[in-house]
Amino acid sequence: MQEGEVIVMSRVLTKSVDVVVLGGGPAGLGAAIRAKEVGSRSVLLVERAEELGGVLPQCIHNGFGLHYFKEELTGPEYAWRLIKKLDKLGVEVLTHTMAIDINADKVVTVVNRDGVIKIKARSVILAMGCRERARGAIRIPGDRPAGVLTAGTVQRLINIEGYLPGERVVVVGSGDIGMIMARRLVLEGAEVAAVVEILPFIGGLIRNEVQCLRDFDIPTYTSHSTIFIHGRNRVKGVTITEVDRKMNPIPGTEKYIECDTVVLSVGLIPENELSRQAGVEIDPSTGGPVVDEVFQTNIPGIFAGGNVVHVHDLADYVTESAEIAAENAVKFAQGQQVVDDTTRVFVEAGENIRYVIPRYVSKSRPASFYMRVSWPLERAVIKIGDIVKRRFPFVRPSEQVRIDVPVEKMKKIEGERLVISCEGTEVIPR
Amino acid sequence: MGLMDSVDVLVIGGGVAGASIVRELSRYELEVAMVEKEADVCFGVTKATHALIHSGIPGKGIPLENRTLLLGNLKMDQLCKDLDVPFERVGKLLVAFNSEELEILRMHEYNCRVGGVPGVELITDVNKIREMEPNISPKVIAALYTPTTGIVSPWELVFGLIENAKKNGVRLYVNAEVKSIFVQQDGSFIVGTEVGDVKSRYIVNAAGFGADSIARLIGDDSFKVTAVREQRIIIDKVYKGLVKHLVRALNGLKTTGDFVAPTVYGDIMIGETIEHPDDVYDVATTRDGLEGRVIPRAKDLVPSLPVRGTIKPFAGNIPRVNLKTEGGYKLIGDYLVKPSLASEKLINVVLTGSGVGAAPAIATYVVEEILPSVGLELKPKDRFDPKREGIPRFAELTDEERAKLIEKDPRWGHVVCRCEMVTEGEIVEAIRRGATTYDGVKFRTRTGMGRCQGGFDRPRVLRILSRELGIPVEKITRKGDGSYEVLYRVKELLLDARRGSDSNV
Ligand SMILES: Cc1cc2nc3c(=O)[nH]c(=O)nc-3n(C[C@H](O)[C@H](O)[C@H](O)COP(=O)(O)OP(=O)(O)OC[C@H]3O[C@@H](n4cnc5c(N)ncnc54)[C@H](O)[C@@H]3O)c2cc1C
Ligand SMILES: Cc1cc2nc3c(=O)[nH]c(=O)nc-3n(C[C@H](O)[C@H](O)[C@H](O)COP(=O)(O)OP(=O)(O)OC[C@H]3O[C@@H](n4cnc5c(N)ncnc54)[C@H](O)[C@@H]3O)c2cc1C
Repeated sequence: MQEGEVIVMSRVLTKSVDVVVLGGGPAGLGAAIRAKEVGSRSVLLVERAEELGGVLPQCIHNGFGLHYFKEELTGPEYAWRLIKKLDKLGVEVLTHTMAIDINADKVVTVVNRDGVIKIKARSVILAMGCRERARGAIRIPGDRPAGVLTAGTVQRLINIEGYLPGERVVVVGSGDIGMIMARRLVLEGAEVAAVVEILPFIGGLIRNEVQCLRDFDIPTYTSHSTIFIHGRNRVKGVTITEVDRKMNPIPGTEKYIECDTVVLSVGLIPENELSRQAGVEIDPSTGGPVVDEVFQTNIPGIFAGGNVVHVHDLADYVTESAEIAAENAVKFAQGQQVVDDTTRVFVEAGENIRYVIPRYVSKSRPASFYMRVSWPLERAVIKIGDIVKRRFPFVRPSEQVRIDVPVEKMKKIEGERLVISCEGTEVIPR
Repeated sequence: MGLMDSVDVLVIGGGVAGASIVRELSRYELEVAMVEKEADVCFGVTKATHALIHSGIPGKGIPLENRTLLLGNLKMDQLCKDLDVPFERVGKLLVAFNSEELEILRMHEYNCRVGGVPGVELITDVNKIREMEPNISPKVIAALYTPTTGIVSPWELVFGLIENAKKNGVRLYVNAEVKSIFVQQDGSFIVGTEVGDVKSRYIVNAAGFGADSIARLIGDDSFKVTAVREQRIIIDKVYKGLVKHLVRALNGLKTTGDFVAPTVYGDIMIGETIEHPDDVYDVATTRDGLEGRVIPRAKDLVPSLPVRGTIKPFAGNIPRVNLKTEGGYKLIGDYLVKPSLASEKLINVVLTGSGVGAAPAIATYVVEEILPSVGLELKPKDRFDPKREGIPRFAELTDEERAKLIEKDPRWGHVVCRCEMVTEGEIVEAIRRGATTYDGVKFRTRTGMGRCQGGFDRPRVLRILSRELGIPVEKITRKGDGSYEVLYRVKELLLDARRGSDSNV
């Protein structure tokens, strides 16, 4: 080396692990714990928020954990139990750290206050959860004032940040978060002037419809669309209108409702910008990766669990699915085979099925099918090809259906396609 | 209110017109100030523009607009380089669907050639069109290609101009609505604003929709500003590459039909519905406009348009100049850039439909021709610095550059907006450069402009604004003037209710 010569080393740090888990919600926590439990040597959990738990810390209502912990918990309690376990097992955690890139070689780039780190992993578990659809996605016309917020943002503002967005609120959409926030707003002293739903039925769980809307006498308008938001600086009101069966506004049914805040609860979308960068194939029906029965994506060694795959009703199922992903991610990292490629079957959503997970199964293994119907039906029958026929008193889009199929039945699948369909009686006409 | 400044030239209005003019004035030994009624600059017409930098297809009867467009277009490269503003010459394809429209294209082609628009080409080979723009409608039979048409970031352009002008000595006053103008005996002015008075020898009235009211303050009622409204939709940048050029339909004989275009940030913009709102500040979108016009017409141009990727529909009003005649006010199809009839030391500058592209040339015209013609003496500054550095865009840096920034200040390692990957470092820098509202931060950094539209970053940005400005979150607005983001602290209403009931007892 000559005198005066300066060698600039790369400022970008590197690191190598067996399993990296992206996202620290009930999916990521469950996955990291399970990966360690089944014997992975090095597990790293990356979470962009200040704290672990995903959306759970802001879900201060109860209704979590009945299946997984066999106990009714609040969101923060559910998260806390997992976090304690994680600590005990000694999983390495990076909070306040955002994954900004993944490539097909499973190198994950993250940034935090210490700099940029490239993490080379043998397997990756995607557990980034989902995000809310915003006003633009449903194109509500009108002015663009302050005071139009998504339900999850309102939840964070009230439960974590300590601010109440307004005192007279209209909730657009009737997803679970919207209904839960309608109740929360009432409890905080605000008035909820209306919950407005374009479909002829409520979008979320029955239990939330009863416990949040009916018990609190919140006026609910189904088959109604919000056609205008008024107010130049801050929201002043909304105009709603009845819609026909094709969801077109019926002229003459307009109604003006005064409010200072509009809360949107119009759906969640799995958060897959990162997955796309790695070349993970996305299923348009779920917005999440196309996965097989062990939650592996089309890229060997990249797995996915929880709401990043499809939007779950319950955190319990989120954790469960992520555990399956984790067990197999560890196997993959250890060089074991995780799926039986020789007997693969492609799964398709048929009549009245909005989507189904997984999209690939093997005939040689048991499988759990998760699905949502498109329209509510009574006396419904769900068919999985010719191998399973299951009766339900009713099915609703808001309530996910899970059907476990033992290996003996899986063996009976003929051909390479398996169609899942649902028939029954329409109580609400389409 | 007391005198807050005394200057040679006062520019009213912080849109692209005013910003270009103050920056041009800052080249000379002059005292210059700008007053803007909103909480920030670029909150007027310029905020909602698409900022296509037109090639200036010269036509009949609109001379000033066309002359300045052509010149403005040529100045853009250097200007955007000096000011570190994203600008791309993407080119335009003005399309024809039938032989009648093809004839109209031929007319425009002729005008372009005569007018000296560089590189125009009439393409009638449909394979070539499809090669240039694979997703274009198979019904398109010809296209007039103008390679010089560009796209720019309108906000960054205005912020860049103002920051550079400030660097060269210009003073900016925001929340400073002009309420009165007093003409003194020597012909100079005392301008009364909401935050204080300014004494000035000359005024440039670049107040957009407020320009007619400003002129009236000195007794000039020679013009009126009305509006046409255009509605638009922004589509997610995951569809980047859907179109590479500005693809535009004809609108009768005119070149201003519906369009599908890329933006400098990678998303897609579609739009163009023409309405005539009575209230020039009414920028509401409508169902008919969006579902009935914008979407179907854009699909005529690009049938595979992914409408479900909609991020944000919005509308903007474009000023139009109406001159006073014996039979009342009459619309002219051009800008108004002239000394006022009531006092020649006040220059009215009203830009209409393509003002972003024309502004650099308009500024030169106002500063080098009009102002000297009414007595302003120009002496170039020895130390004019034309450069401005933009806020580094974390999303666009290499990992090495990112790591370097974080090493200097760890706030650059804290991502606050996930969709656009904006860090706390950028947000703090935007506030340092003058943002006081959520939108001020948003337009400087793109936080909240992505697909979740602020769902994730908003609470965090409010917290940073509150910390940096030392004001409580409940007092922070989206865009000034009562647009509070949150109205109360939790429990405030419950406590109020309790107090209310106590007092009833
Ligand atoms: C308002 C609301 C009410 C609910 N009520 C109930 C209920 O009563 N009962 C019930 O059982 N379930 C309920 N749920 C559902 C349950 O909370 C969710 O299903 C569950 O939290 C999803 O878990 P997840 O881990 O997949 O995603 P999340 O909890 O969303 O966690 C994802 C994590 O990934 C992180 N992340 C994302 N991208 C990156 C990146 N690039 N880098 C680093 N980290 C990243 C995020 O910060 C987040 O912490 C509710 C959900 C909500 C929103
Ligand atoms: C939808 C739309 C699309 C467009 N597309 C294009 C395009 O593609 N290409 C192009 O070149 N142009 C386009 N334009 C036109 C272009 O945006 C305008 O010509 C330009 O922005 C006008 O700038 P301005 O500075 O004159 O006005 P403004 O930006 O409105 O600035 C005037 C300022 O004056 C302030 N003001 C008003 N009254 C007062 C007062 N009393 N006291 C103090 N301040 C006051 C206002 O608050 C405002 O900030 C488009 C416009 C719209 C609306």
